[in-house]
Amino acid sequence: MSNLEDTAFEERLTFSTFGCDPFKADPRTPDREDADVTIRLEGAEGMDLRAPDGRKIKVWSFENKSVPDGQRRLTYPSAPIRVRQGQIVHTRLSTSKGPHTVHHHGIEPSTANDGVGHVSFEVGDSYTYQWQPSSPGTFFYHCHRNTVLHFELGMFGLLIVDPPSGPGSIYEGGPTYDVEQAWVADDMDPRFHAISNHDAGLCGLDVGLNRFEPKYFLLSGVFNNRTMTDSRTMVSAKLGQRILIRLLNASYSILRVALGCDAEWVACDGRNMGQDPWCDTVPIPAGTPFELTTAQRYDLILSPPARGTYPVRMEFRHWITGEIQDRGAGVVQTKVVVS
Amino acid sequence: MKRRTFMQIGAAGGAAAAIGMKTASGIARSSDTEFALTISPANTELIDGTWVYTLSYFLGSSRPSPEIRVTEGEEISITVTNKDTQTHGFAIPGIASATIPAIEPGATAHVVFKAPWAGSFLYVDPYKEPLNRILGLHGAFIVEAEEGKTPYGSETPFSGPKQTPQVQALFDALGGGDPRFPGDQWRRNDLRRDKLWLFSQTDPALNARVAAGEMVDPAKVKANFVPRYFTINGLSGYDTAIHEGSHSDDDDDDWDDDDNPAGRIMPSGKEGEPCLIRTMNAGLANHSVHIHGNHCFILSGVDSEYRNECALYCFERDVWQLSPMQRTDVLLPFKRPPDIPLSAWPPKDEPFPLRYVMHCHFELSQTAGGGNYPQGAVTHWEMTAPL
Repeated sequence: MSNLEDTAFEERLTFSTFGCDPFKADPRTPDREDADVTIRLEGAEGMDLRAPDGRKIKVWSFENKSVPDGQRRLTYPSAPIRVRQGQIVHTRLSTSKGPHTVHHHGIEPSTANDGVGHVSFEVGDSYTYQWQPSSPGTFFYHCHRNTVLHFELGMFGLLIVDPPSGPGSIYEGGPTYDVEQAWVADDMDPRFHAISNHDAGLCGLDVGLNRFEPKYFLLSGVFNNRTMTDSRTMVSAKLGQRILIRLLNASYSILRVALGCDAEWVACDGRNMGQDPWCDTVPIPAGTPFELTTAQRYDLILSPPARGTYPVRMEFRHWITGEIQDRGAGVVQTKVVVS
Repeated sequence: MKRRTFMQIGAAGGAAAAIGMKTASGIARSSDTEFALTISPANTELIDGTWVYTLSYFLGSSRPSPEIRVTEGEEISITVTNKDTQTHGFAIPGIASATIPAIEPGATAHVVFKAPWAGSFLYVDPYKEPLNRILGLHGAFIVEAEEGKTPYGSETPFSGPKQTPQVQALFDALGGGDPRFPGDQWRRNDLRRDKLWLFSQTDPALNARVAAGEMVDPAKVKANFVPRYFTINGLSGYDTAIHEGSHSDDDDDDWDDDDNPAGRIMPSGKEGEPCLIRTMNAGLANHSVHIHGNHCFILSGVDSEYRNECALYCFERDVWQLSPMQRTDVLLPFKRPPDIPLSAWPPKDEPFPLRYVMHCHFELSQTAGGGNYPQGAVTHWEMTAPL
């Protein structure tokens, strides 16, 4: 049996427990099953990034404790999670620097395993989230405490669910790929990163978390002065290879994307297209811009017909004015090179 | 901090007494074809206790921003009386014949039009667009289908001639033997299966300028708009959902569950009881609507002239973009949350209802007054029992 004392299952939800003082508990996982895969995360761990202008930017990350000591390093974004469809997965979170949660975004487990404090609980010490992904695709995970701050500061990472046979196709019997690249678009407002209080604003203080003025723009953790050449962002393929792009907008901007080659949009938000009569796949001709609002994912297959360099441009646009952020500087460029 | 409870109507001059928002959700039913609205200023208390000057359309004496529901093809008559000291108007983008461009202070104007094909619309004040709209002069205008059936007889919110094959295929799959959608089909004429999420935002500094009598240039509103409050059907955070057992002994609550306006927001039902959610954005900020627990199917949007159109791609999404003046109907399938281990369903240790949040993922919208996470554009839905 699980003990759900001090959680939303046993306690009354009030104005206070909704926001300022959410439930904090460390229950045993309800309806616990044996796991096929266990992932151990610890958060938050702090680290500094060096921005192109020399400025030090503090970020918070989840550390992947499943990786042995010595080989482990903190990354921004946090360590990716990769599992297979049908596996029973346990994500064991241990916390440091106050309560946190793990919400596996797009994964739909029970309420206790969904990581939202006011309808379940935040994790005071440790908790094991249980889920069994039913659909392959591109997801992510993030902390859902004071999310406006914790997500921006880096407590998120990519989450990929492969079909049971593993990488190489987007679903069992579905479109195949030879080369894979994840593009995680992100923007940073240094004012947010100067906040050291994890609970800032929670109990009513005006800490300006409704305003966001990003000055730095990144793709997959790479600042935009290096995205044309870094192996984490540019794509290298041989002629005839099929390229899978997993695109996530993890910024607080509208991301407008244009690719220099044709693409086929084969999955969105971790759900395959082209399998049901109500949603076919969508061809996206070269140069046609498309938009991702924050937290959306597009899976795209590229199969360029000729050798060459195909440019990729992503504009970060303001959620109200629609203008490119930072007076036009909010752009990330990279490329797909076919040899 | 106090909870939002009161609105003072006609309070520009400070005369009116505060009244409780016992609005019975403000729904004008679809059997009505004549509606009398009044434009009036009001002082409204926001989720953190801040009061702001607002403008609203009222139905009767105390129902702000009523949800107006009609049936397609009917002749609809709307009368609008302007009790403000400034000129206002009335329009339903996508229904050109429903426009009253200007109503002088103290005047009453009238418009008669035929309700178009079924769909979700917004009514707004087109005068000094978007200024008056963002001060609160907006609401939902819902056109219900006369029949709404697919060729196979499945009920939908859309009229046959306007349905796309994709929307038809999806509604036919519900409760129709597809193992992914066990349970019931979607049912019309049942508000438990038909919810409304009307998003907007408030920048109190703008409201204060208007309250002080300043003539604000509407062309400069968007560029200077810094919202501090984010609402769904006029409510924020804690107030957007019904909290079981939290009413009897909470002094701040002045409504019971039956007339709680949060009931129009929060979907509640059993596994296999699919629910339509009409999402729309009367504000100036984009929203990135993210739902937990189930992905939703995109059913409709608007064309370049704001007319309703059914989807050619019913994307199954956990996030959809809701840009200003956009209206998107989605279907929340009420499936078994698909990533609960099959061997752990139905749960034994974990009690029903299972509750899942919906929030805007532009997390800035989860704040109130610059902090107070998550007292912004958030609510939740609940699954009360398995099949």
